[in-house]
Amino acid sequence: MAFSEVTRERARQIIARYPEGRSRSALLPLLHLVQSEQGYVSPEGIAFCAEVLDITKAQVGAVATFYTMYKRKPTGDYLVSVCTNTMCGVLGGDKAFEALRDYLGVDHDETSSDGKITLEHAECLAACDYAPVMTVNYEFFDQITEDSALTLVKQLQNGERPQPTRGTRLCTLKEMAVQLAGFADDRGDDVIADGPAGEPTLAGNRLAERFGIAVPGFDPETPITKKAEEAPKPTETLPKAASDGKPAGDGPLPQKKEEAKP
Amino acid sequence: MTDVVPKVDTVKLTIDGIEVEAPKGALVIRAAEQIGISIPRFCDHPLLAPAGACRQCLVDVEGQRKPVASCTQPVAEGMVVRTQMTSEVAKKAQEGIMEFLLINHPLDCPVCDKGGECPLQNQAMSNGQSESRFVEHKREYPKPLPISTQVLLDRERCVLCQRCTRFSDEIAGDKFIDLMERSSNEQIGVFRGNPESPEDDAPFNSYYSGNTIQICPVGALTSAQYRFRARPFDLVSTPNACEHCAAGCDQRADHRRGKVMRRLAGDDAAVNEEWNCDKGRFAFQYTQATDRLTKPLVRDRKTGELREASWPEALTVAAAGLAAAKDNGGVGVLTGGRLTVEDAFAYSKFARVALGTNDIDFRARPLSGEETEFLGSSVAGRVDVTYADIERAGAVVFVGLEPEEECPIIFLRARKTYLKRGLASYAVAPFVSRGFEKLGATVILTTPGAEAEVLGESEQLREALSADGAILFVGERLASVEGGLSTAARIAEETGAKLAWVPRRAGDRGAVEAGALPTLLPGGRPVYDPAARSEVAAAWQLDAGVLPSASGRDTDAIIAAAKAGQLGALLVGGVDPADLADPQAAEQALDAVGFVVSLELRLSVVAKRADVVLPIAPAVEKTGSYVNWEGRVRPFGTVLKTAAMSDARVLDALGRELGLELGVGDVAAARTQLAALAELPLPGTAEAGTALRGSVRVAVPTVAAGAAAAPTSGQAVLASWHHLLDNGSLQDGDGHLAGTARTPVARISKSTAADLGVADGDAVTVGTGRGAITLPALVTDMVDGVVWVPTNSPGSTLRRTLGVAEGALVEISTGGTKS
Ligand code: FES
Ligand code: FES
Repeated sequence: MAFSEVTRERARQIIARYPEGRSRSALLPLLHLVQSEQGYVSPEGIAFCAEVLDITKAQVGAVATFYTMYKRKPTGDYLVSVCTNTMCGVLGGDKAFEALRDYLGVDHDETSSDGKITLEHAECLAACDYAPVMTVNYEFFDQITEDSALTLVKQLQNGERPQPTRGTRLCTLKEMAVQLAGFADDRGDDVIADGPAGEPTLAGNRLAERFGIAVPGFDPETPITKKAEEAPKPTETLPKAASDGKPAGDGPLPQKKEEAKP
Repeated sequence: MTDVVPKVDTVKLTIDGIEVEAPKGALVIRAAEQIGISIPRFCDHPLLAPAGACRQCLVDVEGQRKPVASCTQPVAEGMVVRTQMTSEVAKKAQEGIMEFLLINHPLDCPVCDKGGECPLQNQAMSNGQSESRFVEHKREYPKPLPISTQVLLDRERCVLCQRCTRFSDEIAGDKFIDLMERSSNEQIGVFRGNPESPEDDAPFNSYYSGNTIQICPVGALTSAQYRFRARPFDLVSTPNACEHCAAGCDQRADHRRGKVMRRLAGDDAAVNEEWNCDKGRFAFQYTQATDRLTKPLVRDRKTGELREASWPEALTVAAAGLAAAKDNGGVGVLTGGRLTVEDAFAYSKFARVALGTNDIDFRARPLSGEETEFLGSSVAGRVDVTYADIERAGAVVFVGLEPEEECPIIFLRARKTYLKRGLASYAVAPFVSRGFEKLGATVILTTPGAEAEVLGESEQLREALSADGAILFVGERLASVEGGLSTAARIAEETGAKLAWVPRRAGDRGAVEAGALPTLLPGGRPVYDPAARSEVAAAWQLDAGVLPSASGRDTDAIIAAAKAGQLGALLVGGVDPADLADPQAAEQALDAVGFVVSLELRLSVVAKRADVVLPIAPAVEKTGSYVNWEGRVRPFGTVLKTAAMSDARVLDALGRELGLELGVGDVAAARTQLAALAELPLPGTAEAGTALRGSVRVAVPTVAAGAAAAPTSGQAVLASWHHLLDNGSLQDGDGHLAGTARTPVARISKSTAADLGVADGDAVTVGTGRGAITLPALVTDMVDGVVWVPTNSPGSTLRRTLGVAEGALVEISTGGTKS
């Protein structure tokens, strides 16, 4: 097998992190590890994971094909993920994605011919407050526009490494995969911890404060309780859940026949 | 042994207004079944862990906000459950789920193998809506996807219940299939790598894969062998017992227009539960082989060739030849291990009464005199160990037996118990086979030949066998280990462990009971015991002195005598010389002996050398019983009514030709006769037998443990067993099945490989003076100086090519051309 001794040694370290008999749990980091060497999870990478964990290739394949972070085709140095989920989509994410698609001549989950950029549209990246967002190798670029997205990608193609809006400076996707496999970030001092919540994040709070909107009786200091203890009794005024006393699936009316498209 | 029924804690609940008492922890779906209420389901299977994957079984439980999956919900005291029978909520929920499941289902029932016996089809009718609200284009996949050569997958039909993946994980331990992809692309699949290198793919090559076809509740998994060959409603189903190995699986044979179309696992909780192995399921086409015999053959005096003959002519010639030989050296009888117990009894009686000899042996494999004694002392008439005992055992020890390869249902039971409560398994074997690995077995790596020594001296094994209910399983292979069976009997006695002898073939144990052995009469009666002989003589209404009193010759001795010209004739059942310790000697014996009568299904090596060939019926064309390794009678009826006659009927006719009324031609009569002598609860024989009444039992053999052969440089000790799927003639005719056989390899240890200078995949040649086998090496964690090759697989026909048995010294070298 073509995997380097470095990778093999790292695999041993990863497996050693898990209690005896539970080595299967090491599969997720191991998949990142093989990706860090080959840029994607190749059939060979799957076989490697199966071999070191002593599980079947089907079991590895099942996991590798479930998570979208594991790529199944060779990738470029930079994975450009544009959020096209609802919030970002309407705020310009869709447009930015299209612009990149036209410029690079590749579609979702494809790599540009120069081998530098892999483009994908992503589901919600959990940064709706900075929408529209995109990430490069999972580092955030906030409030993008078509133009800023294009400029960014061109810079990447030119070998520049623009600074993400938050987080640290960029590394390659393979280097990122090493970190995702659980090995220390060697970007040293450049690593910037997430600062305090930014203005867009707090915008909702501020509006609520200004207009005196609050959840009735909600104490922000409330400790998080276990399910059993908590379970607030639904008050009579709350609308009943659909399944309460009503047959499940009793949702919208059936589609009318004439609306049906052939 | 009386089973103490443990007291079960129960709870009371109400289902559809009916009060039910169910065991604590039982699932609601099972409790409903108790009172005859069937909740629709797909993923639920009583022998698999609950999954709650399909949501079809939703019921309304009082106090729960949402409908609850009854296949994952345990019962509770006072629970009030309403199913689709009394609850609109449940009914509507089930209809909703059914509608979801059918969104992408192609509804191609008219061209689907499952149509007519499909839980999805049936339950869509009984618990679904007649109209779907979904009008969108359905998802399509290329189809079918072969996940092995014998299992085909039509992904668009799948409802992702995961019965197949759960079976392969929980039961077989062969996790070669899994849920791949995600979301709307989620699908069952095997590992497929690079399209350019399909050899890296990992297909569903499990010995039990056929079960997934049977438990698939839709038509997603179908059998390559059966696909598009019949509709369930055109098939006639007959309960059937498997003729392949000593496990004794209950099966069902479905036939149409005189041909068996498929076989399914039967449901016998005491034996195979609801599973079988792929050999039992798929290997049945041998009866339609082109060389199947339907007419008797007689060797023409003028041409010296076999020609077709009428039954009367063939019987006359056979009878005359046997009668002449009887007084001129005698007749040796080799019956083979594939007979029903009724047929074996017929041979046993025919040999003694018609031929006046005890020269009869069923064993068509390496054997020993020690084994002959052991079969009398510790096997015949004993029903000490059952499948259920495995589930209760404190530990199990396997010697000379690889359960997955040689008795797959023992393997399944042991694995079930291993997963359930960590049953400790031990094995004395040259390496940790896949089966042993899946049992989590502690394997004492042993050079073939040294098993007896290890078993006799290992403190670890002694301790294991002293555990409560411990079982010592010994395979038929232990016969070729000097002192193996003696040691097993002694250790079992000393530790109190139960002892179970597991032969490989379906007819072996029955043949022991029926007395198809040189030293045993029916019911385990020793030939040498006058009381035993007089019991049998009385039962058979024979005059004193008719029954031969001298112990007979075993298979090897019969062959040696025939070869040396000391025997007048051989009467041979289904025996393939290639299975014997020395096939060459067997063929020479057949050539040397003056007269050969062959009772055969196909024009075999023996039939070709015979003077008279009498065609007999395969298992599906006759009625009879096997006795499995437990000693349990496995009766079966005729599946296909043909003119073919059982061995017993042919022998009966032959007897009549000799002026004898053996009365074994009719199955019922044979059973009555046999049941009078042996303790076998055969169908229709109310009277329990009188086995060993007033007669002695053969003494336990006390052969001292031998040592393994010591290889010198360039030599190795031979280790071997049969792969479950191999060149066995009963597997002929099914390429789909053969495609899932394990690849033949030569296993050697690291240091043996280093000595030879070979790595994995390099050719290794194993040879004797007679021939050589060349196989790719597989470096294995095993004893040094040993080479393991499969006994009878493509490219590895051990006995025929090498003429030696396990434990022998062989030359081992690198590469070499294939002989
Ligand atoms: S929608 Fe884009 S980050 Fe949430
Ligand atoms: S049968 Fe209950 S969820 Fe499938």
